[in-house]
Amino acid sequence: MKQIMIQLVTAFIGSLGFGLLFGLRTRHLLWAALGGMIAWGIYLWVYARIPELFLANLCASIFAVTYAELMAHLRKCPATLFVVTGVVPMVPGSSLYYAMDCAVNGDLEGAAIYGHKTLAVALAIAAGISFVTVCRELRARRG
Amino acid sequence: MVSTVEKQTELARCLLDMGALLLDCGAEISRVEDTMCRMGKAYGARHMEAFVITSIIILTMDFGNEDAITETRRIYSSAGNDFYRLEKLNELSRSCCASPLPLTELREKLEHVAAGKKPEKVILWGSILAAGGFAVFFGGTIWDSLAAAAFSLLICFLQKQFGNTQIGTAGSNLFISFLSGLGVGALCELLPMLHMDKILIGDIMLLIPGIAMTNSIRNILGGNTISGAVRLLESLIWAAALAGGFMTAMLIIELAV
Repeated sequence: MKQIMIQLVTAFIGSLGFGLLFGLRTRHLLWAALGGMIAWGIYLWVYARIPELFLANLCASIFAVTYAELMAHLRKCPATLFVVTGVVPMVPGSSLYYAMDCAVNGDLEGAAIYGHKTLAVALAIAAGISFVTVCRELRARRG
Repeated sequence: MVSTVEKQTELARCLLDMGALLLDCGAEISRVEDTMCRMGKAYGARHMEAFVITSIIILTMDFGNEDAITETRRIYSSAGNDFYRLEKLNELSRSCCASPLPLTELREKLEHVAAGKKPEKVILWGSILAAGGFAVFFGGTIWDSLAAAAFSLLICFLQKQFGNTQIGTAGSNLFISFLSGLGVGALCELLPMLHMDKILIGDIMLLIPGIAMTNSIRNILGGNTISGAVRLLESLIWAAALAGGFMTAMLIIELAV
C-alpha cells in the first residue's frame, strides 16, 4: 500500500515537472499532473487484476487521452497539452535502461526481455491514443 | 478582406510564420494544416491547400483572381515542446477565424508570441521535479532523487549549449547521456548508498523521445505518413544515441572499477 502511495505521489510530481518543462500555463498545471497520477492509478489497478503489461498500459493511456479531451473541452485549449502529461508516467524509461544495462553486461536474454517490454509499452501508449482519436473523429463526423 | 496581391502575399507569409511556429511548439501535423486553411478562409481565400511535413510547409491560396499564391517555407526545428506558445497561437487563430485582425496587427501578435519563450527558471524547476520524481517513482530513495535532480540541471545546461549549435538532437543526446552516465557513475562510486540505475532512469526520462515517438505514431495513424515516418525514424535514432552514450559510459565505469 505504501509503495502504491509513493508511486502515485511521484507520478504526480513527475507529471507536474513535465508540465513545467513544456511550458504549460499555471492554471492547467494541477489538472495535468492529476491526469498523470490517475492514469498511473488505473495502470496499477488493472495490472493487479490482469498482470498483462500491454493491456494495463493500453487502459491507462485510453484514460489519459479521454481525460485530455475532456479537459481540452472544459478548459478551451488543445488536447495535446494534457495528453503528454497524462501518458508520461507510462513512458518506459526504466525498461529501456535495464535493456541497455543487460546488453552492456553481455546478458542478451535479459536485453531481449527488457527491450520487448519497452516496445510493448510504447505500442500500448500509441494504440491507446489512436483509439481515442479515432472514436473522437467518428463522433465528430456523425455530430 | 485582403484585396491586393501584395496584401495576399503578406497574408501567406504570416500564415507560414504561424505554421512554422506551431510546428516548433510541438503541434501535430494535422493541426498545423487545419489552422492555416481555416485562417486563410477567414481572410477571404476561396480555396486553401496546405501541405505540411516536419521539414517543409507548402501553402497555396486561391483568392479567385488570376493567379493563386504559392509560398514555401523550409522548417529547421520542429521537435520542440512549448505548450505556452502553442496555446497562445491556438487562441490567436480562434479569434482570427471569428473576426480577422488587420494584417499589421496579426504580424505584431505573431511576433509577440514568437518572442514569448518560456522562462528558464520554469524549465529548471520542471527538470528537477521530473527527474527527481521519476527516480523515486521507479524505486529509488530520496537520495537518488536528489542526485537525479542535480544531474538534471547539468542536462538542462548542456541542452541549452547544444541548442545554439548545428549539432542535431542525436549528436547532443549521445554526448549528454555519455557525460551524465560518467558523472552519475563516479558519484555512485564515491557514495555507495546511491543507486546508479535509479538515478540514471530519472534522468533518462528527460532525454527519452517518448513524446516524439507517440506523436509520430499519431501522425501515421492520422494519415500523415511521411511526417510520421520521418519523426518515428528520428526518434528511434535519438533513442539509440541516448542508449549509446549511456552504454559507453557504463562500459568505461565497469572497466575503471
